[in-house]
Amino acid sequence: MSDPAHLAPPEDAFRPHAYDGIREYDKRLPNWWLWTLYLTIIFSVVYWFYYFTTGVGPDDRTTINREMQRIEDAKLASVGSLNDEVLWKMSRNPVSVDAGKATFTTTCVICHLASLRGKAESPAAVGASLIGTKWIYGGRPVELVGVVSKGTLRGMPAWGPVLGTRRITEVVAYVLSHHEPGEPVEIVASPAPGVK
Amino acid sequence: MSSASVRPSASPAPSLDSVTTIRSDGSRFFLHPADSAGRFTLLRRVTGWGLIVFYLSLPWIKIGGFPAVFLDAASRRFHFFGWTAAAQDMWLLFFVLSGTGFLLFFLTALLGRVWCGWACPQTVFLEQVYRRLERWIEGDAMARRKLDAARWTAAKVVRRGAKHAGFAVLSLVITHLFLAYFVSVPALWSMMRAAPGEHGGAFLFVFVFAGILYFNFAWFREQLCIVLCPYGRLQSVLIDDDSLVIGYDTRRGEPRGKYRREVTRAGSRDATVGDCVDCHRCVAVCPTGIDIRQGLQIECIGCTACIDACDEIMARLKRPAGLIRYDSLNGLGGRPTRWVRPRTIAYAVLLLIGGSAAAWAVSTVRPAAVGLTRMVGSAYFFDGATVRNQFFVRLVNKQDTPQQLLVQLRDVPAGVVAAGLDAPVALAGMGEEVRPLVVVVPRSRYAGAFHFTVVVRDEAGTFELTRDAEFLGPDPGLLREDEEAHEGPNRK
Repeated sequence: MSDPAHLAPPEDAFRPHAYDGIREYDKRLPNWWLWTLYLTIIFSVVYWFYYFTTGVGPDDRTTINREMQRIEDAKLASVGSLNDEVLWKMSRNPVSVDAGKATFTTTCVICHLASLRGKAESPAAVGASLIGTKWIYGGRPVELVGVVSKGTLRGMPAWGPVLGTRRITEVVAYVLSHHEPGEPVEIVASPAPGVK
Repeated sequence: MSSASVRPSASPAPSLDSVTTIRSDGSRFFLHPADSAGRFTLLRRVTGWGLIVFYLSLPWIKIGGFPAVFLDAASRRFHFFGWTAAAQDMWLLFFVLSGTGFLLFFLTALLGRVWCGWACPQTVFLEQVYRRLERWIEGDAMARRKLDAARWTAAKVVRRGAKHAGFAVLSLVITHLFLAYFVSVPALWSMMRAAPGEHGGAFLFVFVFAGILYFNFAWFREQLCIVLCPYGRLQSVLIDDDSLVIGYDTRRGEPRGKYRREVTRAGSRDATVGDCVDCHRCVAVCPTGIDIRQGLQIECIGCTACIDACDEIMARLKRPAGLIRYDSLNGLGGRPTRWVRPRTIAYAVLLLIGGSAAAWAVSTVRPAAVGLTRMVGSAYFFDGATVRNQFFVRLVNKQDTPQQLLVQLRDVPAGVVAAGLDAPVALAGMGEEVRPLVVVVPRSRYAGAFHFTVVVRDEAGTFELTRDAEFLGPDPGLLREDEEAHEGPNRK
């Protein structure tokens, strides 16, 4: 596409090298381009010193630990005030119990059945009975929250990441509404015969 | 190539070996293109303003309850003319991006750089909006060059200040409307009325983006087209001698000669002189500062200003228009233009294939989405009597009206029981629900792992979504051995 009327530029217009026969013009880059380049170089040096050399800025490990700590603190803030007393009170609060029942109906009924009796009602049920005084992993309200949040090795899923603290406490409040504070807690080894 | 000129406003001579707007000392030569007038200028104005109105109006027009184009990134729903895509449909972006790129390549192979001169926002906003304002406040090209060279009097401060204030306002308006595409107009209004601190991210974005636009349209201008834009750099592989370009008819125009009135009056034209009278109008109107008579160059964005400029001169000289025109390089050389050639055939075929694939892909989008994941923990649970797998079914309602979805299993062997499927799941508009799904196989029926399908339907049965799943469990042989060891070999 070269214009035949275009005369070859003078030799001093080229840089001395030729790669595969390709010559390169010796032209100044636009100043705005050059200054952008210089600024990025300066920025990278400052960045390097700020974050990695002098330790003024936090490094990646510190930043991640800070963020994790912030998440843990937030989690603790919502759970930290949880104790048996608070949960028993929630179990007598119709608002919490109704919310917990809604969650229970959509999430827990599958295994624990609508009557909460689970395996006690039907051997085909997957979940343990939540009625009565026999518990496998603990029966105190705080222990119940732990089981629901973290799950068990025998198949109870860890609902903590799925439901969140608020819904878990509501569900536990609903379960506790079928119990009385101070009733005996009997730990049994297994929910049903046949498990080795 | 002049070094720092004595008169900074004097135009460096365009040459094929240099970029006119980058002086030899690296400083910027700021162009003031002259005004062009003619049919292409009018056509471009109409097209440009049509595009601008289209861009400005989309967030205001409601289709299907949502703005025509609403990229609601915050709730991960993207609305296009009544059709809604959720985050789960992001994979369709592949077709959108590759299809757009491919269509552009196809059009470029045929029509050359029409995108740049007619549709690119850089050209459209610069030529139809910013340069108009500049022309209105500071006058034509000669007046602007004089203003550049003038001392800083109060009058100059006022003019320049007004122009730059106007540029800043325009940039802010464009940026706010750009934001409206992402937050919708009502939300934009409330954001604008609230304090900056309440929407710090949006405020910072508007501030920075408007600054970039202002810098671009006030100063950077053609440098973006010449240096930054990848489309310009790709031209050399996208076009060939049969693609449409804007070119100067060398055979008709050369050798250039001064206009001699007596020759034309006599009715015949001097055969020793070409039609080009070296008036330099084509150079004066060029927004990238080239001389199109030197041939096709990378800086040429196909803005058609030189066509109108030359046609105007030709009309006054009573010579036919089209000395600078849209034509292929072959056409300008007197040879026929081949529209159908291997390149265009190949592009067309690939475009058809891609278009069909895209159409099919879009047809698979349903008003809901389902995700099936195994619950975290053991892959299976064996409690002595049953083997059990636990899944999560995540149901997403992509409509903004509530809907009910039924979850069922298909291709499950006899005896397998699934819990969690009885009642339909009610989903709020744009809502999501996670439900557990527990699949239980009695020990007596367990014959090893098997595949099954989870089917999600709406109650009316208008659409169906399926997900494949695998039921995992212990080796059935080991189970049998274990049973025989404990119960005796004859026990079933």
